[in-house]
Amino acid sequence: MTRRLTGLLAACSSLGLAAGAASAQDAKTIQVATHYTGEQAAPLQACFDAYEAEHPGITIEHQQTAYGDFLQTILTSRVGGTAPDIYNVYSVWVPQLAAAGVLEPPPAEIAEFINANYSPATVGAATIGGQLWGIPTELSIYALVYNKALLQQAGYDAPPKTWAELREIAQAITTTNDQGNIDVGGYAYGTTVAEGVHPFYAQMFAAGVPPFAEDGRSTNLTSPEAIRILSDQAALFQDGITSNEIVVDNFASNAVGMQISANWNKFGWQEAFGEEFGNTVGIAPIPTDGPGGTMLYSFLWAVDATSEAKPEAWDLLRFLNTPQEGGLTCTGQMMQGMGSFSGHNADLEQMTAGADDFDRAYVEEVTSGRAVTQPNIWQASEVDRILRGYIDQAWSGSMTAEEALTAADAEIQAILDEQP
Amino acid sequence: MLQFLSSKKAAPWLFLSPVILFAAVFFVLPVVFAAYISLTTWDSLSPPRWMGLKNYQYLFATDPIFWKTVWQTLYFALGTLVLGVPLALVLAYALSRARLQGVWRVVYTLPMVTNIVAVAFIFTFLLRPTDGLLNRLLDLLGLPGPGWLTDPSLAMLSAILVFVWMELGRNMLLFSAGLNSIDQSYYEAASMDGAGAWSLFRRITIPLLKPTILFVVITNFISGMSYFTLMLVLFPGTQGGPSRAALTTGQYMYQMAFEDLRLGRASAVSYVLFALVFVATLVQLRLMRRGGLEEH
Repeated sequence: MTRRLTGLLAACSSLGLAAGAASAQDAKTIQVATHYTGEQAAPLQACFDAYEAEHPGITIEHQQTAYGDFLQTILTSRVGGTAPDIYNVYSVWVPQLAAAGVLEPPPAEIAEFINANYSPATVGAATIGGQLWGIPTELSIYALVYNKALLQQAGYDAPPKTWAELREIAQAITTTNDQGNIDVGGYAYGTTVAEGVHPFYAQMFAAGVPPFAEDGRSTNLTSPEAIRILSDQAALFQDGITSNEIVVDNFASNAVGMQISANWNKFGWQEAFGEEFGNTVGIAPIPTDGPGGTMLYSFLWAVDATSEAKPEAWDLLRFLNTPQEGGLTCTGQMMQGMGSFSGHNADLEQMTAGADDFDRAYVEEVTSGRAVTQPNIWQASEVDRILRGYIDQAWSGSMTAEEALTAADAEIQAILDEQP
Repeated sequence: MLQFLSSKKAAPWLFLSPVILFAAVFFVLPVVFAAYISLTTWDSLSPPRWMGLKNYQYLFATDPIFWKTVWQTLYFALGTLVLGVPLALVLAYALSRARLQGVWRVVYTLPMVTNIVAVAFIFTFLLRPTDGLLNRLLDLLGLPGPGWLTDPSLAMLSAILVFVWMELGRNMLLFSAGLNSIDQSYYEAASMDGAGAWSLFRRITIPLLKPTILFVVITNFISGMSYFTLMLVLFPGTQGGPSRAALTTGQYMYQMAFEDLRLGRASAVSYVLFALVFVATLVQLRLMRRGGLEEH
């Protein structure tokens, strides 16, 4: 009797184990890490639900991490063996993540999908040394943003086309208070690394000289164009047209005439200006004496190399980046909600069709081919930080533009020489 | 084994074992690991590569920012000591002789219990160059309005002043406790001998308060040498204030480790910082070791 009972129990438990194993094999959880808030990622969440309904056994979890902590979170989760399956990463982080074996290159069919549906500049943002690492997502493009009302008050109906014109208009806009501090700045920069370095890169592209060599192993920071750009920027500080007190954030309070900024600021400016947004915020190509152009950067969907659900992860990403009912991809729906652009051709086409002047001006920079991808160089964030430090020195007058860029070039070159 | 465990010899170790284990895992192990990492190049994603002393060599001979941050850190730590400690001592002494002591203590310790982000935000508004309260007041007096948080030459001084304001209550509490422990009979005897208020303060309060002063100076110096929270909130988005003028070594180390992924070099910075704090603390102990009643 006892033997029979034992046999029955053993059989039951074997069946249970087998069933459990089978269900474990089918059931997969895909963790998706992004820096978007729950509110921003709401369209994405709706797509996750739809995908789960179409794929029984697949569960998708959204992990939200603040942008500033995103890279650290990836590192910590990798060390702890709890890395998500899918990341939404800033393209300049990719060289290091790829070199350390964190990212899985997309399979051939996904690479084909990307090349067929994204513009070369956008694909370039997700490519390092000829290797594609993911699907481009949020596209950020730089252009001259100006306050139409302030320009009109100063007697100007059109935005500047050259830096000399910009300087003249900015000077006319600038007003100071009794203490000599700027109340309304003709032009503004920002306090963050990106708010100093990205406009500088964008101006270099506009001048026809990329900041880094194509192979990412040397810089063009000591070129005459780079020195002139920084020297012209520093002159705005020295002549009291801008200062550290007037920054890009002040644009929303009508205290800044012009600045070079990315399109993702739209949401904030719409909130600040309300119905006057269209009458106040103008977008124009970056003023230059060169051939013209600007910089764009992208985030990209990438898959973790240690993920146990790589095929499922790529399949989900393909779904998220395929046009849905209404014409936009899931990524595109999320971007539109935030006032940003997705890099997918169908999204850009759809967004341009119903675009306002603001969007049209930025999209035009991409579709015309003027926007060039930010170079995904080695230790990009460290390089940007070093460059920002020297740009500050030139702005404050403690170094000339040439001295600052020569010193920056030497430090950055040492870093670029480290790459494999 | 069981006999040894139940012996009197083993008892202290058994009771201490949780603490020893905690210290080994959370103090000794990280310190030793950091020492090893400081001799390697490591981005936390791939295995560390042995570098020998190259990280230290880079900091001392090549890095243009490291020494700037060390001087700025010393400026911050010493600035907060020079301004904060005497101010806290004088206020604590005055309060020990004032009425409504409890009310004053609450008033002065409120900044200490206020969230640092709230403190920094308030001061950001107060110190704004164009419409900040301080510059508006200066304008009423016909004085210029400097960029307290945007002028590289003033940024660290502003951080020092805010930090002193924040820490005043804590130091005052410590000095108040020290003052309360001084026997009143010393003051009575000295007064009967004709000593005035200044003499009482200089010849009785200061010497008998030396152990408290030593404690306040050392703990303030150590926290000042590794401090950067206030700067993060006071100069948001920057690399340590305008032109890095308020960048301390602690924040620079953080940027190296978690923004540049240079954990080996950042560990080397932490050891250099530790050495500096250790030497400075030894000097302070040597200068101020004797004090209190034992000296007399």
